Amino acid sequence: MRTNRRFAPLWVVPVTLAAVAGTSFAQTDAPAVLAIGATAPMRETRMMGVDGKEITLADAAGKKGTLVVFMCNHCPWVKAWQGRIAKVGNAAVLKGVGVVAVNSNDPAAYPEDDMAHMKDRAKDLGFKFPYVVDATSDLARAFGATHTPEIFLFDAKGKLVYHGAVDDNKDERSVQRPWLMQAVSSVAAGKPVATAETKSFGCGIKFRGKSES
Amino acid sequence: MLGCLACLSAAALTFAGCAVHRAPLVAISAPEVQALAARPGARATLVNVWATWCPPCREEFPALVRVGEKRRGQGLRLVFISVDPEDQLAVVRKFLAARGVADTAYIVTGDPMVFINTLNPRWTGALPATFVYNGRGELASFWEGAADENRFNQSVDQAIATR
Repeated sequence: MRTNRRFAPLWVVPVTLAAVAGTSFAQTDAPAVLAIGATAPMRETRMMGVDGKEITLADAAGKKGTLVVFMCNHCPWVKAWQGRIAKVGNAAVLKGVGVVAVNSNDPAAYPEDDMAHMKDRAKDLGFKFPYVVDATSDLARAFGATHTPEIFLFDAKGKLVYHGAVDDNKDERSVQRPWLMQAVSSVAAGKPVATAETKSFGCGIKFRGKSES
Repeated sequence: MLGCLACLSAAALTFAGCAVHRAPLVAISAPEVQALAARPGARATLVNVWATWCPPCREEFPALVRVGEKRRGQGLRLVFISVDPEDQLAVVRKFLAARGVADTAYIVTGDPMVFINTLNPRWTGALPATFVYNGRGELASFWEGAADENRFNQSVDQAIATR
């Protein structure tokens, strides 16, 4: 948690803490994200994995649920959490929750996000689940995913029960709310997820041009 | 000369030599952002949330600086808020200096989720994110992702018109 202000000069005029109403008439340009309770779109779309095999979300689904992780290779925010993604994802697989990590970024914009780097990353992290390419970025569009890392967890009935961040701190040693780990445990146990929606900063997904289909 | 090279290398800067951001770099929370936008003295406030490690943030930064300079006399207050971690403050300062930012700049403090939801519940957390407030501190427009000078100008025009 960044709470200290040791770098703030003392002479800076403090800003007023008066609450300001703010969003009632604002024009916003925010995507429609998959709502809690919704089912996963594009379940039958085939995506190439780092193992050279194509897989769909339906293929990846587990008996207890399905975890979809939008991630990539280049993003410092992903790099901060990728070890935890591997840890929670591998544990989820063992609990009967299917897992698939999805890279929707255009590698033309970020060369580190190409398939060769994906293979290396999955190997280095010891993923025991598929890491696939969303080759049109349409899966991210359909989910309303905007940044990486961004998590979508579905229960055994295919309903979205958790959307958001892995946990509450970039520094793993300082995590106080391990949201994803708790949500996966709940889904695996067939129990309701306590915290359904969270947010964190992340790298905006670099979408490919819209496909014509 | 060696010092300059080290400076450029460390911050991936492209110009301005070893200039360092001398203006204050201040921690800020979401309510403080809103209060800043409502502070008298500006007809519009453009808040840009960015990070040095975010390529689209870096790409749009020069356009934002140009808009801020050109429209300062028209009452535009330009506010840069970095989400870089505290151990990257030196990099933030070098980045700001290299792009000619001389005004006070800010670093997000506190719970990121609270910051995101307080500024706008529709903000997903993706960077960059831009918020344009009118002179009363009311949010006039918001978007995620990079933009160009034209869009920044249009959003400022709109905010000023909603006074």
